[in-house]
Amino acid sequence: MKKTICLPPLTMPEKMVRTLLFFFIIGWSLLHPHVSAASEGSVLDRIGIATAPYDNSAVDSVQPITEETVAAKERNQGGTFKILARKKNIERYPCSSCHNGKPVAARDGEALTHGSVSIDHGREGSSLSCIDCHHRDDKDFLEDKKGQKIDFDHSYLLCGQCHFRQKRDWLGGAHGKRVTYWAGARVVYNCTTCHNPHAPRFAKRFPATYSPPSE
Amino acid sequence: MSNRKKTDDAPGNDTTLPVQNSRRNFLKGLSIAAAACSASLATGCLPTTARAAESGEQFALQWQEYFKKHYRLMTQKEKDETVARLERQAKLQSGLDLQISTQAPRENVLYGYAFNITRCEGFMECVAACIKENNLDRKAKTQYIRVFEMEPGQLDPGTGDGKYFHEVPVDNKFYMAVQCFHCEKAPCIKACPTKATWREPDGIVVVDYDWCIGCRYCQAACPYFGRRFNWAKPSIPKEEINRKQHYLGNRIRPMGKMEKCTFCIQRTREGKLPACVEACPTGSRVFGNLLDPESEIRFVLKNKKVFRMKEDLGTDPKFWYFID
Repeated sequence: MKKTICLPPLTMPEKMVRTLLFFFIIGWSLLHPHVSAASEGSVLDRIGIATAPYDNSAVDSVQPITEETVAAKERNQGGTFKILARKKNIERYPCSSCHNGKPVAARDGEALTHGSVSIDHGREGSSLSCIDCHHRDDKDFLEDKKGQKIDFDHSYLLCGQCHFRQKRDWLGGAHGKRVTYWAGARVVYNCTTCHNPHAPRFAKRFPATYSPPSE
Repeated sequence: MSNRKKTDDAPGNDTTLPVQNSRRNFLKGLSIAAAACSASLATGCLPTTARAAESGEQFALQWQEYFKKHYRLMTQKEKDETVARLERQAKLQSGLDLQISTQAPRENVLYGYAFNITRCEGFMECVAACIKENNLDRKAKTQYIRVFEMEPGQLDPGTGDGKYFHEVPVDNKFYMAVQCFHCEKAPCIKACPTKATWREPDGIVVVDYDWCIGCRYCQAACPYFGRRFNWAKPSIPKEEINRKQHYLGNRIRPMGKMEKCTFCIQRTREGKLPACVEACPTGSRVFGNLLDPESEIRFVLKNKKVFRMKEDLGTDPKFWYFID
């Protein structure tokens, strides 16, 4: 069944007002395109639809990292990545050049023992000792709590036993940082690039600069 | 625009202007010539032809620079020409060999930034690196980044101390840095009367320094204090000038122009991290491609508690703060 709606006929001034209003709205929306396009995708919308991985070789100006790197033994977000190698930066590595069962001359004793190391790692009153991390017998390696040897280049396997939250963030990218490039193959700093393993907390110091009062 | 274009490649077209050969003009010319002659005699050196040619070239460069187009309207050829002119000008004026890039935005890239307020310890290495990288005015102490020392529980930098200079970190305080947030719906862009500032396809809000008239409307419009004004010609020690520049980035700004953080456009478009990220000793700063689901910044957005400053204003910034 059809219904017909009867409206009372419009008077002349009403018609004029309606026409004017119509043209005003059309004109406004033409003059201010951003008003009509206000619902255009926000950043979060754009992120939501971006699911295809970015081609890391797309930025051609990325150069290989000059520092020595090693492939990490774990994966981040499903992919492999590299970390800065560490062994070369350790003074007097390999450790077995001294720790080889032979006696050391007494005159070199002061320089060759680890008197400069002071441990500030762990809870107050129960800080860690050397063999909590270092392998008791094979000094070229670290040792985790299961008794497995851990290479100095892969110390995150050791640190991550306690600092598992930090390790999870580091694998994902919320802790630590990449070396030089945001593009290209992922190369990140290892734990000890930033932290001294014997005293991991950053020392207090003065800021690098200061800010003058703002305008 | 079209009448400007005609004069674009005619540096010496003042000769074509109708010159009235009156007695007054003749005397005027004579007096100028006499003054120039006496000046050169007084200083004891006549201008050599080489120097005259050099000053002529400088004038031609200035002339052509004055009538160039808006960056977004330039073809690649015109961009290359203006860059060549700017590099030549720098060479003539201060003997600097600049490399000014016009690298276009990369495809499928949208830059985003995250800042860890739990990790930052207020060392301000980022600020120092930014000053060096972006050729900021050393005399006026222009800084794009401000770091605030905050009381626990506060999240508005207005309540923090932005002028601290003592040993950091202080116990029971946290640190929060503020810079340009590169909003998707940036109020500064709407405020600009000459369209000298706009958002690039990769999300960076940039300024065409040669199109800016220095009205500072954008500075008033920005709710984050993200923009800076050049009250004077920047003074930078010559050996500290960063020569790797970008037309929209760290090239040395003239006096009376607006400037701001560009996410180090000269670095990021080459795949590098911004200078502040690279300098941060605590890893509080995360930078990456928002359109890459495997990027670090996407990991932060997915797995961390994040917030954006003054999100209720609807400016849609691409800068998140997060806590561990």
